[in-house]
Amino acid sequence: MRLQLLALLASVAGAGVSIYLTAVHFVGIPLACPTNAAINCEEVLSSSYAVVFGSSVPTSAAGIIWFAVSAALAALVLISRSAVWSRLQLGWSAIGLATVIFLVYLEIVRLGVICVWCSVAHALVLLIFLVALPRQQEGRVGA
Amino acid sequence: MSRQPATKHPRPMRKPVSRTPAWVTPVGVVAAVALIVGGFLLVRWYTTPQAAPPLTPDASQLVVDSLASLPATELDSIGLGSANNLIKPVSGPALTGPSGKPLVFYFGAEYCPYCGAERWPIIVALSRFGTFSGLKTTSSSSTDIYPNTPTFTFHGGTYTSQYIDFQAVETSDRNQNALETPTASQQALVNQYDTSGSIPFVDLGNRYAFAGAMYLPDVLAGMSWQAVAGSLTQPDTTQAKAVLGSANLITAAVCRMTADQPSSVCTTSSIQAIEKKLG
Repeated sequence: MRLQLLALLASVAGAGVSIYLTAVHFVGIPLACPTNAAINCEEVLSSSYAVVFGSSVPTSAAGIIWFAVSAALAALVLISRSAVWSRLQLGWSAIGLATVIFLVYLEIVRLGVICVWCSVAHALVLLIFLVALPRQQEGRVGA
Repeated sequence: MSRQPATKHPRPMRKPVSRTPAWVTPVGVVAAVALIVGGFLLVRWYTTPQAAPPLTPDASQLVVDSLASLPATELDSIGLGSANNLIKPVSGPALTGPSGKPLVFYFGAEYCPYCGAERWPIIVALSRFGTFSGLKTTSSSSTDIYPNTPTFTFHGGTYTSQYIDFQAVETSDRNQNALETPTASQQALVNQYDTSGSIPFVDLGNRYAFAGAMYLPDVLAGMSWQAVAGSLTQPDTTQAKAVLGSANLITAAVCRMTADQPSSVCTTSSIQAIEKKLG
């Protein structure tokens, strides 16, 4: 259950990062990010891939929703310890991880630069997926 | 009836436990993700276009001449093409060059891929008002986004026109070594009108200005200078729609500066239509 607490904290942190990037997009608050040949948050966040399906909604806004649902699922697993919520958490985090792999593809292959803030959010999604993985039951069980 | 001896309850069976340690699955997932990311890096490395060696001065001039001789009918038919109109009206004292003619001021750098993309339409547009000579070919940085975008440098080139003056500052070479320093008045223009700090920055006589490229540099990825020039002669190509659409926008802004002179350039239907959009 300690791991679920970790998933909950990671979800809250991920939501924080997503809120910050969404605020950068809409409010134009300064983007704190180093810039060099491999790292350029501005390039990534101003690219055509930084919005959802050609809309004006930034990908980070979708990140807020994903992390909020993830936090709720972690809390439900913590409280109820139900296998149903655990399975839902696994499915939800698998969707998140698949999306992260696609976004990393866009950053590395299409744009050739990495956004540090995005990478932090991606690492948190991976962490949540690892927590959601089913663990092997050991010890005695009923016949 | 004898009682059956109480059957001894068997000990609960231990469910077979996998011999695989618990850490294997998460470590396997992390390793798989790392492999995928490594694969992406490999793809990027293989697909990054290599910088071609710069052309000889004669070959460079041939490409510049080709840009200057694009048919007016082709430019007219493309209109805005796929260009993103970045040109904004600005207010300030009329900007003139050393000869007193309206001044077009360019501020950029050789490493910058957006500058690399935007030089093509600048050359096409300004070639309708005058003549470039001594332009050298180069490529944007090989380590930045849109690496090795084929382009020219304004460093060392000259421009003559009876309608406008043109000044360019290339602050760095493609390896980001310092190249040219703006004068105090040029820096003041950048400070005043390039509020985003983006390059390229172009001031069109203090009447209009824009920062950034009007199309994405990947339109030119992997192409030679001659191939880009060749594609611009065919109006249906992605390159023609992007570069010539951008050139038409710049042409229309320059026409506003010159009071629609020369008329052979400025009174075409597409330039007139774009002028109206510029405000």
